[in-house]
Amino acid sequence: MIKSKYSVLIYWAMIIAMLGLFFTNDFGLVDIHKTSVVVAVGIDTEGEEVILTAQVAVPQPSQSGDNIQYTEVQGRGLTIADCLNEINSKTGFYPKLLSCKLILLGEECKSEELFRVLGCFYRRNYSELTAQVAMCKGKASDMLSMPATISPENSTAMQRALSEELKKSANVSSVNLKDIAFSNYSVSEACYMPFIEANIQGTSAGGGNGDHVGGDKPQQGDSGGQSGQSGGSSGSSGGSSEGSGGGQSGQSGQSGGSSGSSGGGQSGGQPVEFTARKTAVFSGGKFAGILDESQSFALNLIKNDIRLAVVPCDTEDEVHYTIGLKQAGGGIKLKVNDGVPELTVSFKAKAQIQGAKKVMQPDSVKYDDSLKPEVLKAVNDEVISRLQQLISFCAENNCDVLGVKQLLHKFNYKYFEAFEKDLLTRMSVNYKVDIKSLN
Amino acid sequence: MSKEISVRQICFIMLVYTAVSKFIFYPCELSFGSGRDLLFAAATDFLIQGIIIWAVSYLCSRTDKTFFELIEGTLGNITARIIYGFFALFFILCTVVPLFEQKLYVQDIFYDTVPSLTVFLPFFIFSIYAASKNFRNIGRSADICMPLFFVSMLLIFSMSLFEVEWDAFLPILKTPLKSVFGGSLTTAFRFFEPCWLLMFMGHFKYKEGDAAKITLSYAGGAAFVLTVLLIFHGVYGGAAATRQFAISKISLFFPAIDVIGRIDLISLYVLEVVMIFALVINIQLAVHCLVKCTGYDNRPVFSLIVNGLLILVIVLFNNNLSTIHKMWSNWFWIATLVFANIIPLAAWGLRRRTEQ
Repeated sequence: MIKSKYSVLIYWAMIIAMLGLFFTNDFGLVDIHKTSVVVAVGIDTEGEEVILTAQVAVPQPSQSGDNIQYTEVQGRGLTIADCLNEINSKTGFYPKLLSCKLILLGEECKSEELFRVLGCFYRRNYSELTAQVAMCKGKASDMLSMPATISPENSTAMQRALSEELKKSANVSSVNLKDIAFSNYSVSEACYMPFIEANIQGTSAGGGNGDHVGGDKPQQGDSGGQSGQSGGSSGSSGGSSEGSGGGQSGQSGQSGGSSGSSGGGQSGGQPVEFTARKTAVFSGGKFAGILDESQSFALNLIKNDIRLAVVPCDTEDEVHYTIGLKQAGGGIKLKVNDGVPELTVSFKAKAQIQGAKKVMQPDSVKYDDSLKPEVLKAVNDEVISRLQQLISFCAENNCDVLGVKQLLHKFNYKYFEAFEKDLLTRMSVNYKVDIKSLN
Repeated sequence: MSKEISVRQICFIMLVYTAVSKFIFYPCELSFGSGRDLLFAAATDFLIQGIIIWAVSYLCSRTDKTFFELIEGTLGNITARIIYGFFALFFILCTVVPLFEQKLYVQDIFYDTVPSLTVFLPFFIFSIYAASKNFRNIGRSADICMPLFFVSMLLIFSMSLFEVEWDAFLPILKTPLKSVFGGSLTTAFRFFEPCWLLMFMGHFKYKEGDAAKITLSYAGGAAFVLTVLLIFHGVYGGAAATRQFAISKISLFFPAIDVIGRIDLISLYVLEVVMIFALVINIQLAVHCLVKCTGYDNRPVFSLIVNGLLILVIVLFNNNLSTIHKMWSNWFWIATLVFANIIPLAAWGLRRRTEQ
């Protein structure tokens, strides 16, 4: 009896303790309507400083369903953490960046050590390493504020240009923070990321053979960017640079960083489309160059799991074909024969005609899965040519994005010390490209 | 005398609690210390402890006595009490680092913001209650934890296995041996399982083949830990050393998570229940040792004292985990060596039969 009496007392004491924790907010409950969530960040560098532009989703009470507004907030400092601290003070939310899905590096970051810029994201569980990483043409802050055609907030539009489906079609080299660290902290010490470009809506590059997706480039600051033309939009990078230049801790009074009210998507200017067919590559943590569309395509054939890739090619009788490659599989192997490292680049796929620059006869369509030898030769040659361009780039820039040194280290360890330094220039390369008709 | 705990429950404890107690910081520590050869570092520790667990469980087949009675019968009552006093201290110290880890883990996976310390303190309400119970309670908890553990691990593994880069471990054993076994040594303070078995001695009815069952259960727990280590390093490679809270990080790259959100958290929340029970077992055994040491059979009082001590530690050293962790890594392996290795083996030298 006494025992049950105490049990009731203990029970009530626990309930009161829990209620106390609940009402004093020690459970850490957050009112979603009074906070904001960082969905994408853009990073620019200026001298010693880093400028972080965060695209922030601000939940709004709404019954119409359109209940999120996007805005850009900027922070500045010597480290990303300084910038986040400033953004924190502006948004009222501790930015752990758990919802951040895109990290965009401005072109100026080329001059910086990559992991000096990105290092913060790997520390203390700031982010989950699932965020996609890309470099962009021009300033990341400008890119983030451009109005996109296919999505109200342009970070989503950019993510569409980096989508998994595009990756499976060898059109983009999408990577996340984890992938970058994985390859950079290997013996190859190289990594890559997509290079995003903005094109004016409704334009396309002329003279291309279907492989050069793009269009007219918007003028910096002319497309509703942060140039100050967009009314109350976010603080421009120019405006930021006029701040103090010495802001370190992200204190807004010093840094000159400013927050915007309405997102780029609503800020006027010419809408843009994003493409990411090129690839920025890094070696030893430093920018090593940009792979063009053909080289990027070759890289994707080797690195990614391809479902359907499209290759344009010309036969000897100068008929242009667009070939679809299915059941594709590529890879590299390294052997050391008689003291010479030999790299074998292999690629297999089944081809079908998707388009041809000639008049279509209805009865010819049924032969699209059965390619003529000259078309098969053309597509084989085209793929080999792209692979060769990629390997040449790697050798010339001593940039091991393919992970050849890793192969040497893993499977030919006894030769590693001997070949480590000049492997890419010393190795001989064999291409085994085997593209057959789908039927 | 009715036996308080069954062999089945001990097997569950050896399998489940062994595994979950090494899912948070342990993989990150090993990645840092032993690099891609972390599996060898872990396997070394598990092998040593497995042999000792087999030795202790085989000793159980030779006597019905408890460990306390064995010491008492050989070295006298006072010595037995002193040794149990030291064991109580050992179990309390064994709890410190896992307790801090659990606090940080809860704060990391349950909260997007920076929660205060008080959000973790309700754990001690449970701990005080659980530690005031006897071995029967420990056994029943293990029965509950077993299915929870299996279901959650199945889900976590299925969400993470496809992301593993299987060649991330090559070349094998090219990391300097000093680093590999250095990793074993600095993480040795997490291997206290033989002490659990030592405390259960005489409290369960031994049947033929039970030593093998218990040892195999421990090997099963080791297999789970090695699988998590394999996935963890296979997913993160060189970046693994930067990722704490390994178990909550390995399934993040499951494609569906990007679309429908953190469904892996369901498994992690379930696993958290198991982790809490695993964390409390050392506190329960510390209370058991204090009861034996003092001869004062009032578990709730000792439970309050032990938990009060731990609350004090966690409040005073709230932000000093790295210092504590460094101290434990550098020095606590000596205590582990004595209490979890030497004493269990030395128990074979104690008088196992009562003289007529």
